[in-house]
Parts: sequence; C-alpha cells; structure tokens
Amino acid sequence: MLTFVARRAVGLVVSTLLVITITFLLMQMIPGDPASVMLGSNATPEQIERLRDTWGLNEPIYGQFVQYIVNFLQGNLGESLFHHKPVLGIIGQRAETSLWLGLAALIVVVGLGIPAGVLASIRPNGLTDNIMLLVALAGASIPSFWLGLMLMTLFAGHLGWLPSSGFTSILETGNLGNLRNLILPAFSLGFVNAALVARTARSSMLDVLQADYITTARAKGLREWGVIMKHAFRNASIPIVTVISFTFASLLSGAVVTESVFALPGVGSLIVQSVLKRDYPVIQGVMFVVAVLYVVVNFLTDLSYALLDPRIRYR
Amino acid sequence: MGSVNADSNGNRRRIRYVVAGLWQFATRRRTTAVALGILLCLLLLAAVGPYVAPFDADELRVTDRLQPPNRTHLLGTDHFGRDILSRALQGTRITLLLGVSISAFALCVGLPLGMLAGFFDRFGLVVMRVVDAIMAFPAIILALALMAILGKPGIPNVVLAIGLVWAPRMIRVVYSATLALRESVFVEAARALGANTSRILLRHIAINLISPVIVQTTFTFAFSIMEVAALNFLGVGIPPHVASWGGMMNEGKTYVIRAPWIILFPGLFLATAVLSFNLVGDALRDRLDPKLRGVA
Repeated sequence: MLTFVARRAVGLVVSTLLVITITFLLMQMIPGDPASVMLGSNATPEQIERLRDTWGLNEPIYGQFVQYIVNFLQGNLGESLFHHKPVLGIIGQRAETSLWLGLAALIVVVGLGIPAGVLASIRPNGLTDNIMLLVALAGASIPSFWLGLMLMTLFAGHLGWLPSSGFTSILETGNLGNLRNLILPAFSLGFVNAALVARTARSSMLDVLQADYITTARAKGLREWGVIMKHAFRNASIPIVTVISFTFASLLSGAVVTESVFALPGVGSLIVQSVLKRDYPVIQGVMFVVAVLYVVVNFLTDLSYALLDPRIRYR
Repeated sequence: MGSVNADSNGNRRRIRYVVAGLWQFATRRRTTAVALGILLCLLLLAAVGPYVAPFDADELRVTDRLQPPNRTHLLGTDHFGRDILSRALQGTRITLLLGVSISAFALCVGLPLGMLAGFFDRFGLVVMRVVDAIMAFPAIILALALMAILGKPGIPNVVLAIGLVWAPRMIRVVYSATLALRESVFVEAARALGANTSRILLRHIAINLISPVIVQTTFTFAFSIMEVAALNFLGVGIPPHVASWGGMMNEGKTYVIRAPWIILFPGLFLATAVLSFNLVGDALRDRLDPKLRGVA
C-alpha cells in the first residue's frame, strides 16, 4: 500500500509541475510585453520597469521560469490589476460560495444518480430503465446554464418558491438559510452529471449482477436487497467512483457558467469577470488553483480504488 | 470498351453497396433516423435560413419589443424588437460553421500527433504527459483563459480556443487506438514484408483509425457547439452583434422572468442540435466499433 501511495504521489508532483509550466507558457503567449499589458495603457515607464524587475522579466527565460515556480510554490500568485490585492486572497474570499455550490451539486449528483442507476439495473429494459435512459440522454444534451435560467423562471419567477440569485456567506453570517439560494444552482449544475452517474451505475451493476458470487449469494437464501446492496453494489462501485471523479471536473467547468447565471460570488464568476477585464494574474491564479485541485482529486480517486479493491494495491 | 464498362459497373456496384450500408445505418434504429433527420433539417436551415426568415435578424423595431410568441412573430421578439425566429435561424448557420471548424481543427492536430505518440514510445511519453496536464484544466476555464490571451472576441479566436481544448482529447483517443493497432498481426506482417514506418502508419494504421476518429469527431462537434454557446453566453465568444444561440441567451437573461421565450427557443435549438449529434455519435460507435461500446 505504501509503495502504491508513494508512486501516485510522485505522479501528483509531476502533474503539478506540468500544470505550472502550462500556465507559465500560456502567459508567455500574451502578445507584447507582459508587464505593460498587465499594467494597462496608463502605466508609466518606471512602473513597467519595476514590475519587470519584480517578475524577473529582464532575466533569461529559464531564470524567469525558476522564479515563477518558486513564487507559485510559496503561494505567491501575484496581485490583481484591478483590486490591487494578492490573487490568492481574492480566490480565498470567493472559495466559500464555490465550495458550498460544489458540495450541494455533488449531493444532487450522488443522491439522484446512484439510486436511479441501481433501480434501473434491477429490471433492465423495464419502465424505470427506459425513463432513466431518456432523462440521461436529455441531461447530456441540455446546457446547464439554459436549464438554470428555465428553473429560475419557473421556481423563482412564476411560483416564487425560491430566491432567484445571489448568495451571502454562511461562515460570516452564520445563517444556514442562505443555502436556499443554492438549491436551483446546485440542481441545474448537478442534473447533467447525475444522468451520467446513473448510466454508469446501471451498466456497472448489470455487469456485476451476472457474476457467480451473486448467484451464490442468492442460493444461500440472502434477501434480494441484501444481495444488491452488500454484494453487488460494493463491487460495482469502482466505475461509479471514477465517473464521480470525472464529474468533479465537469462540476468545476459547469460552476463557471452556473455562478454567472445565478450571480453567485464564487471562483467561477471571478474568472469570467477577470477575462472580461483582462485581469491576467487572476486568470492565471484561478487556472492554477483549479488544475491543482483537479490533480489532487485524481490522486484521491486512485487511492480510493485501492481501498475499494484490495487487488489494485499490488499492481 | 468492355473493360471500361466493367469498371464503371464495378464502381456503380460499389456506390450502391455504400449507399445501401448508409441507408441501413440510418434506418435500423428509429432514434438514429430521427436524429439524422434533425441534422439534415439543421443543415438545410443553415443553408437557406436567412433567405426564408420572416424578418431581418438584426432589424430593430422598438415598438415590437418583448412580444410573446404570436402570429407575426412565431417565437416572439427580444428587448430590441428583433424577431427571435429569424435570429435563431441566423444562429444555426454560425453554430454549424463553428462546430465544423473546431472539429476540423481538433482532427488536424489530434490525428497526426496521436498517431506518432502511439507509435513512438519516447515521443508518446512526452506528448501524453502534456496532454494529461492540459486536461487537468476544466474545458471552459481553459477556453476562457485562451480567449483572454488571444485578445479580441471573434470567430477565428473562438475556433482556436475551443479547438485547443478538444485537440488533446482527440490525441488521447487516437493514441490509445494506435497503441492497440501497433501490436496487431497485420502490422507485424507488414513489417515482416519490409514495409517502412511511414507506410505502416499511413496504409495500415491510419486506415484503421477512421472509425474511432469519426466517432470522436461527432462528440467533439456536440461538445464544442455547447462550449461555443457557453462562451457566447458569458459574453467572451463571438462579437455580441452577431446573432448566435448563446449570445441571444446572454442578451435575454436580464428579461428571463418577463420574457422567457428569448431564452427558451435558442436553448431548444441548441439542445436539439447537441442531442441529435450525441445520438448519431452513439449509433456510429455501436455500428463502427462494437468494442468501444460503453467506454467513453
């Protein structure tokens, strides 16, 4: 188990370095001198020269790269051009909303997807199965922002059951009622992925339900529900865990648009605002943080395989 | 003369065979037939849409603003009084154009790189590490960052930004297919017969990559038009004055509660297009490569 973890950890470090390299190269692609682009047209030559110095832009490119990596590893992601605050701090302020949204969406994904998939697998080609297939197909084709806007029209506009937009910090106000603001966003974000998880859960369960040990378990006289939950579900769970970890990436992507639709002050809407304002340090910082998060989640997914299936540890 | 006739007969037979195969593919499943029908309609609309549209897509008529669907304006009007149907038709053309360009871009980058990466181990190691790292960035975030770096909103930049997001995915599909093909008996036989590397790559591997590549291209198309719509919706895609489905939804979001039809219809167009591409992609995958079923 220890060698398994160590090997994956090396992969984690390599991926993180590559992610830093890619953000570095992308920022080299900005046409013109990065310092004057970043400071805008009102900057004085002295300001530009000072920024070139702090970034080490007067050094050769490999020197810049080393400096860049050192800065990033120390958590120094630069300063926003508009807010004049450290990028990491700005992302930190926005993180709470995104984390709540992600958590709520994940609850929708797991809470809807897995039961739906398991139910569909019990009677393949039955009514539940066919309805599921239809919903999954639609779910994969509906843009989440459109679903969000339509849900907003219905539940916030016509019915007036839920708030349409905005979110205030729960940690600061201590008001759990604010979570109501996240119901519509979480559903529109999670629905698409729930469909995907349901499809995977179904096909994985169908594979496992044909195994000999399931027949044995039934022959022992176990109750059907026990067979499904205890024998089939655990063995079917690896592909499901994989797909949930993919879901994580698509939740990150989807959050960008969903946060913009529902005017939530999260990391996703931060990057959109920064792109519109060409606030390059913030764009770069968000890319870095999100990619590292993704790499870490992949690492944890690999570890969870080893926990779910002991055979994987020895490969 | 006789041999020419025999040749053209052979060609005709071959064409008939291909047509029969396509027809069988199109009609074997009802969903595939419906999806292909919808795609044909969309193509037709893209071709003739602006000519049959009831109004000029960009004409402002302030007196007609925010009208719900009615006899004159079948799908209603937006906050400038522009006809939603005419604008959605205009958007069909731009959407399909962008989808084709992006898929072509991903194909031109992904096919050669993926093949070489699958064939040459060391090169493959480097390329796949980079591909993995690029794929650590969520698609829309990478596309947004690229749009910011490339500068102005515009069609070429959208193609480049989303193309660069989807090329790595194409590389990965081609790479894993090439890895499998490389070990196959017919490649070994070709090598034993003295075929050189480029001949093996072009005549033996590339030909067999057609199926997975076609399938992946269909999905690239479906996802890329969804992403184009997302970029336009966020206001960083093509310029806002050009009618596009995502752009229409962006302009309509302020009025979503008063005039939901501004958003409802472009979204339905988009969802229908994406759904039919996904259905055709699924059917192609089942038809072309039974081994791939249930993978991606």
